[in-house]
Amino acid sequence: MRLIARFAKDKKTHFEVITVYDKKTDVEVVEKANPMVQSIAKRFPTAIWFERKIYDDFGIKMEGSFDERPLLHQERFPRNIHPMLKGFKEKNLELGETLAYNYEKIDGDGIFEVSVGPIHAGIIEAGHFQFSQAGEDILHLEVRHFYKYRGIEKSLEGLSLKEARPIIERISGNESIAYQIALLDIQMQASHGSLPLTVQKRNALLLEFERVIHHVTDLGFIANDAGFAPALTIGSKLSEDARRWMKKLTNSRFGFGAITLEITPIELDSFTLYLDALKKEIEWFERWIIDIPSLWDRFDTTGILSIRKTIKYGTVGVVARASGRVLDRRLNQFYSDHGFIMAGANSGDVAARFLVRIDEIKNSLLMMRNFLDNEKEEVLYEHLYDGEYNSFVESSLGELFMHIELKEGKIERFFVRDPSFINWQALHVMMDGNIIADFPLINKSCDLSYAGNDL
Amino acid sequence: MIKFWKKRLEGSVLTENLEVDSELEKIKKELKNTITKKFAGSLAIRMVDSGSCNACEAECNALSNPYYDLERLGIYFVASPRHADVMLLSGVMTLNMLPHAKDAYEQMSSPKWVITLGDCTSEKCPIKNSFAIAGKIDESFRVAYHIKGCPPEPKDIVLGLLDFLRSRR
Repeated sequence: MRLIARFAKDKKTHFEVITVYDKKTDVEVVEKANPMVQSIAKRFPTAIWFERKIYDDFGIKMEGSFDERPLLHQERFPRNIHPMLKGFKEKNLELGETLAYNYEKIDGDGIFEVSVGPIHAGIIEAGHFQFSQAGEDILHLEVRHFYKYRGIEKSLEGLSLKEARPIIERISGNESIAYQIALLDIQMQASHGSLPLTVQKRNALLLEFERVIHHVTDLGFIANDAGFAPALTIGSKLSEDARRWMKKLTNSRFGFGAITLEITPIELDSFTLYLDALKKEIEWFERWIIDIPSLWDRFDTTGILSIRKTIKYGTVGVVARASGRVLDRRLNQFYSDHGFIMAGANSGDVAARFLVRIDEIKNSLLMMRNFLDNEKEEVLYEHLYDGEYNSFVESSLGELFMHIELKEGKIERFFVRDPSFINWQALHVMMDGNIIADFPLINKSCDLSYAGNDL
Repeated sequence: MIKFWKKRLEGSVLTENLEVDSELEKIKKELKNTITKKFAGSLAIRMVDSGSCNACEAECNALSNPYYDLERLGIYFVASPRHADVMLLSGVMTLNMLPHAKDAYEQMSSPKWVITLGDCTSEKCPIKNSFAIAGKIDESFRVAYHIKGCPPEPKDIVLGLLDFLRSRR
């Protein structure tokens, strides 16, 4: 069984702790007096962040937990507050006194620690990595995030889906289309309607385009992190071309506001020409880069995530598929009708993740041609019914899970589990047997989101 | 690598090939002159993300692609605040990042400036009234210039930096 998410709800008289697996969903009812549930982190290691978050958000304790440090509330965050409680209304909090955070570390003769972040040397999001080192060798890594914790779940409560939209599409800029598709899906479920094929195709077109942009950018940056700059020149050029096309299609280089029920006509001829040209570029790129032995020397056997650990940690997206796991939310009739073939590799190293990205770009370009259509179909929906709705979308990073509870047409509870929230927790496993100089390369090969993770 | 050089020879210089208007060309020249005059040849920027969605970072990364190639104008994104003239702040200011952003600012040597990037740093920010956000950025930092947009496009960032440089005496 794969753990997808674990989160809680404040139901006024009691709490609910909801655990979503791929095959079932458990709901535990928890008393408000001394709230406590059993930790599941020993069986599902990635449950630990969910559980630490549930404590910070609601004050629900985890029985048998091996890690009770705060997750969202960092050194100077005000103490003893649980902001996701319905009764918590404060808006202006002041920084508190510093309370030290105990990093995981390995002790021993000559073992030292390296602290990296939250502000990094490049143009990168904020996050922290704590290494225990024996010389060059990484003995342990602790990933510590939530510096960008913006309180998005709480700030969406009480809003209508329409009001929430501008925020939801900006949770993670690289995955904006995926978040919008999840939101639209929930909106359709709540109106007891369904999306016509034409709209589905347009959405899928944009989602695949977002994936292509993300992947070509990565192809450049991954190689650059192995000291091979020419690939970045090419990757960033292709990414810029694609962003300009994204703007032509959606009026935003990131597709903000792109997913609607309307179909805006696109210039099919010139866009098709562009897609063909991009396909040729990618094929050239692959032939060229596969021939650079010094690069593959760095990629091969670096940052391995075994299939066993992939399953244990329940990783998603490219990280899972490059380690031999068959896992993709696009494995369905609609996508296979349009030419979807799941990319995959078995070695689970940086090389595998790089090659899976190339294969996915090629497949996405093929599907995009099949999704191209300007045909319109009117969608009518009038009323949104209250209820609890789930949506799953395969974003460029992996499986995105969104949950919205509507009450009187407003958001009662919003929860989203970015693919990165799972994959970040498996990153330290990939460090085994690697040197610290390869950390940026391994990290980039997974390309995880900080913003989507931190919320 | 022969494949690469063959491709390079067949292709042309993209920075000239861009469908840029002559206006941008002029601005780029002007920018270069201003930097030479006022910042002894280079403007060093330290980017700090205090709670963005990563789109602003992506656009700043795009400034180094072959179309914009910002470094040839003498503008560099540097690895340490100690090397920087300007701190470029993106995103909302989260409570968790406030102490670190302040730290980074203190590490910069004077004269120094703060430029805010993107709508999240202004009253146009879509996230309103969140407990996890440390109020307005200008309550914690003296902001010298603001570049608007969501996210500001690479061209807007170049134009914004130029306008900031013009406003320095």
